[in-house]
Amino acid sequence: MSPRARRVVLPLAVFAGLVLAWEGAVALLRVQPIVLPSPSSVALTMARTAWPIGFHAWHTLVTTLLGFVAAVGLGLLLGFAIGGSATVNDAVYPLLVGFNSIPKAAVVPLLVMWFGIGTVPAVLTAFLLAFFPVAVNVAVGLATLETELRDVLRSLGASRWQIFRKVGVPRTMPLFFASLKVAVSSAFVGSVIAETVASNAGIGYLMAVAASDFNTRLAFGGLVVLAAMGVLLYGIFAAIERRVTAWAYAE
Amino acid sequence: MDDPRRAHGVPAIALRDVGCAYATGGAVTQALASVSLEVPRGGTVAFVGPSGCGKSTLLKLISGLLPASAGAIAVDGRPVTGPLANVGMAFQNPVLLPWRSVLDNVLLPLEILRENGDPRTPPSDRWRDRAVALLATVGLVGAERRQPRELSGGMRQRVSLCRALIHEPALLLLDEPFAALDAFTREEMWELYQRLRAEREFTGILVTHDLREAIFLADTIYVLASHPGRIAHTHRVALPRPRTLAQVYGAEGSELMRLMREQIRPARESAA
Repeated sequence: MSPRARRVVLPLAVFAGLVLAWEGAVALLRVQPIVLPSPSSVALTMARTAWPIGFHAWHTLVTTLLGFVAAVGLGLLLGFAIGGSATVNDAVYPLLVGFNSIPKAAVVPLLVMWFGIGTVPAVLTAFLLAFFPVAVNVAVGLATLETELRDVLRSLGASRWQIFRKVGVPRTMPLFFASLKVAVSSAFVGSVIAETVASNAGIGYLMAVAASDFNTRLAFGGLVVLAAMGVLLYGIFAAIERRVTAWAYAE
Repeated sequence: MDDPRRAHGVPAIALRDVGCAYATGGAVTQALASVSLEVPRGGTVAFVGPSGCGKSTLLKLISGLLPASAGAIAVDGRPVTGPLANVGMAFQNPVLLPWRSVLDNVLLPLEILRENGDPRTPPSDRWRDRAVALLATVGLVGAERRQPRELSGGMRQRVSLCRALIHEPALLLLDEPFAALDAFTREEMWELYQRLRAEREFTGILVTHDLREAIFLADTIYVLASHPGRIAHTHRVALPRPRTLAQVYGAEGSELMRLMREQIRPARESAA
């Protein structure tokens, strides 16, 4: 088997084995469906409720991406400012680290107080979780510019702006794109947290409702959809990263 | 407009009582004190000396990247007040841009000059030919489309030299450019430098730890001492040009090398 096929087949085989073991264990040990439903019954429930699940999944996706796009915008700006200026770095970076260490779930009640229950708190939570990795990575990319390279350019009469454009930005791109896949996962976590607490749509909301109805199957169904969406979002941005910044990997 | 480079009698570089001091944690460190020297147009000088004697600082002062805290620096008779634009630099680390091809790396200085409306910018349809010709001079025929990561250390250093020369700068400043190369590649680079010097007009300043390199390349070698950095000894290298490795490794070269070693050793011991 080629190494490439191996990397696909092996984890799939382990996954299939786990699902089978789960199915067998539930049947053999006669586990109550309300405690742990079998994978086949979860699949059945998912098929029956495909339409509402699809609606809520779409809602979660849109919420996540809105928060993500805003986070990328602010993350880039902050990262450029922090990486480009030692003064901004000294003034802002400690605050940013402090802010990042607040568990964002604790902010959701405040957001609900201000914006009510719905999409806005979810978008904002996604945004709050996602901008930090972008800002830090971009800042690091800019701040680690080799002094020799800076000297080469300055001795051509290049301005700070030219150095930033010609060298700073391109050399930051691998780190920026690496941060996107982290940021999109964070945004996803943020939107689902907020949906669970304070929304009337989205997979997080669906799971909260399912749990309050003791509908374990549907809750598991939601979990499966979340896992699939999370992997997909990460995978898309990992693929974009590989494509755009191939020069940083081939060695 | 008459080109000041053509003016007679004005040295390419003139330093008079130049000092450089900087403050670190309340204490003032004197990196360089009362350095005076002149480099004639088209000449090459080398700075050698123990680590921390201010060799690299001297390069930055001459190119205007660092302000001098005392004395006067003039390039082509004009006082240096900020970064000069007619300088090419190369370092031990070739710092090529890994996302650009060899050709685009070499053309980077021309892009900057064009954006800044520099009159020395050649018309853009001639850029490629000029870069290809320069790459051929350093032995990189047909390498334009290659990526820096595909090149050996010596090839990268050649590309770095091309980037330093593509805009035909009046000054070429080299900070230990060949220090990371193996001995044979390094000697090839010495010969390359000599060839470039014969073909183009530039004034070269070389910072190096390699005394043989200094002997091969320089007309004048300044031995620096540290604390504060200053010129301790000056040697004119009398070997005729073009120089050969045999001369450098021969009696005359070895004698000069032995002498300079003796001069640097006490400086190292006092620094330790």
